[in-house]
Amino acid sequence: MNIFQLVFKQMRQRALGTWLTLLSVMLGTSLAIAILILARESRDFFGVKQFGYDSLIGKKGSRVQLVLNTVYHLDVSPGNIPFSIYGELLKGGPYYDYVKIAVPFVVGDTVNGKFPIMGTPCTLFGINDETRKPLPEDEVLGYGENYDGSEKHFELAQGSVFHYNMFEAVIGSDVARLAPLRIGDRFQATHIAGTANSAPVVHPQIWKVVGILKPTHTAADRTVYIPLMSFYTIAAHGAALIAQSSLENGATPSLTSQFNASYDHVTIDPDGTEHHTDYILYPNKTFHLTIDPSRLLISGIMAQSRGGVDLQRLQYYLNNGPDVMDVNPAMEMGVLLDNFLRPSQVILLIIASLVSIVAAIGILVSIYNSVSARIREIAILRALGATRRTILTLICLEASLIGLFGGILGLVLAHAACALASYLLNLYVGQGIDWLRVDWTEGVYLIAVVVVSALAGLVPAMKAYWTPVATNLVTV
Amino acid sequence: MAVRLINVVKKYVGPDGSVVPVIDIPEFLLNDGQQAALIGSSGSGKTTLLHIIAGILLPDSGQILFGPPRGGPGSVSLTHLSEAQRDIFRGRYVGYIFQTHHLLPGFTALENVLLGMTFTHRGHDRQWAIHLLTAVGLSDRLHYKPAKLSVGQQQRVAVARALANRPTLVLADEPTGALDAKNAQQVLELICSLCTEVSASLLMVTHDMDVASRLSQTYSLTQLNRAAMAEAVR
Repeated sequence: MNIFQLVFKQMRQRALGTWLTLLSVMLGTSLAIAILILARESRDFFGVKQFGYDSLIGKKGSRVQLVLNTVYHLDVSPGNIPFSIYGELLKGGPYYDYVKIAVPFVVGDTVNGKFPIMGTPCTLFGINDETRKPLPEDEVLGYGENYDGSEKHFELAQGSVFHYNMFEAVIGSDVARLAPLRIGDRFQATHIAGTANSAPVVHPQIWKVVGILKPTHTAADRTVYIPLMSFYTIAAHGAALIAQSSLENGATPSLTSQFNASYDHVTIDPDGTEHHTDYILYPNKTFHLTIDPSRLLISGIMAQSRGGVDLQRLQYYLNNGPDVMDVNPAMEMGVLLDNFLRPSQVILLIIASLVSIVAAIGILVSIYNSVSARIREIAILRALGATRRTILTLICLEASLIGLFGGILGLVLAHAACALASYLLNLYVGQGIDWLRVDWTEGVYLIAVVVVSALAGLVPAMKAYWTPVATNLVTV
Repeated sequence: MAVRLINVVKKYVGPDGSVVPVIDIPEFLLNDGQQAALIGSSGSGKTTLLHIIAGILLPDSGQILFGPPRGGPGSVSLTHLSEAQRDIFRGRYVGYIFQTHHLLPGFTALENVLLGMTFTHRGHDRQWAIHLLTAVGLSDRLHYKPAKLSVGQQQRVAVARALANRPTLVLADEPTGALDAKNAQQVLELICSLCTEVSASLLMVTHDMDVASRLSQTYSLTQLNRAAMAEAVR
């Protein structure tokens, strides 16, 4: 019988007390580790430093809202900006000298109310819209940075990039997994109503999945990408553009009543060509937008500046205009993380650590009581040849083992709780967390729990250490 | 291994602050393999003397020597050892049988015997433990916890545990005191036969003259003890 067997025997002998103490350690540890996991995941999620672009141009308003909506598909879009702004960033435009790459986008609809739809040109995926040929790598917008400093670009796991004027789509890896959608599957866009009482609107247009992206571990994984122009074929969007245009030209708000389903009128030629209000759909399934280009609106533009002063100049000119703002997403997220998330995480961690300390005090009380009840047994062990140091070791080992097992169970429970949280987040937000990942901070916390437990065991261990043998053997 | 006590004195401080001499033995020798009884009235210091010989208590003065009867090379002076060294020495060389069994309730009979081997750093001899329990008639109760054993059986487990490390000295503190006559007889015989088997000396404290008469020699603590003599004279 070695010292561990002896300790296990003693623990089993007072199984209820041991389990209750272990439970309190487990709960304290699980709370702290769950907070560590959530802090780490939110830091990874919101604290991205490299987005692949340093300039996000959108409607003047909340800067954080623009970033949250564009990068994470959270919150609602702050509004639209004229498509013409995009033209100003291209060759011949006033801001061309400051901008290296620019990709316009529109957001607003979803697939099944869960997966946001983003209308973009094919250039986001490194393909020229017109020629369908790959673009040079330095002309393609990235979505992050590799460990070696190179840019991450979207890559297809299956299929191909959509055609810029066909009802085709490229979907993120999570969409393929969770929707589930596969190559060749078709879907319709759903517009979630702005008020709680309104029913979602399912648009009649049907897109076909032609490509599935490799996982990026970003919000892109749960995004459905469609050709930018196909977004405007949706009758309601066309109607909205007209309404907004009318309002901007001084019309009264009542004119927005054109925003209804009857907006789209369709006539079909004998050869099958469909003439819709805002576009023509040819028998070869390509479409041509007939809407006035000057009325087109976009949600924003992701742009990579030429760097250094050019970014500041671009921001200066755009931010001093009346309708548009230009924000650096990394900077905005850094501010959000530093000012809000980090302090609240520190507070939560302090609370969780206090819970763990309370659990350690629980160990102290439990073992102290057990030592008081076992004082004669300790005297017997001494009479059988156990030294004071052996007795001290036995008690501290018991406390450490309770800390260790409670800590390990707490670790498992924390990850299980985070798995549940991940499932719920996936369900409601469409983005889970990496709940399986165990990093060094959890190991350090676990070691701290064992050390604190051992220290808590020292008090009863000292009581046992000083137990007078002769007195306790005689007093029967 | 013989045990020799030289000028061993132990005093207690009473509640009123007065110093009460309990043990004052000029000389006492228990020879190698000798089986002796130590008799004395209640409160005469018998248990204290056993605790001193076992190294559980230290005398205020004097020496306790383990080794050749005449001392010299190879003898160990218990009073010169540190407390930890005394603990280890006791674990290895001294078997102690208490008046009540003092078994650990969470451990089976076999585990209680193995527990006696735990602190000697010599490893466990499971076969020897089983042999001892068989010798005390508990081969069919190896995995019983003390609560499932009768008082007599519990004391027999305690006897087996005391012999677990093949000690050179067995100290028994009224081991039959809590037993009925039949069980007392059995336990006494077991102690004597097992001590003979492992060639251990035996010093048994008892106030029962019948029990004392079964051992080869009987010492009276009153006669050994100068303190008791002085008390008697007063």
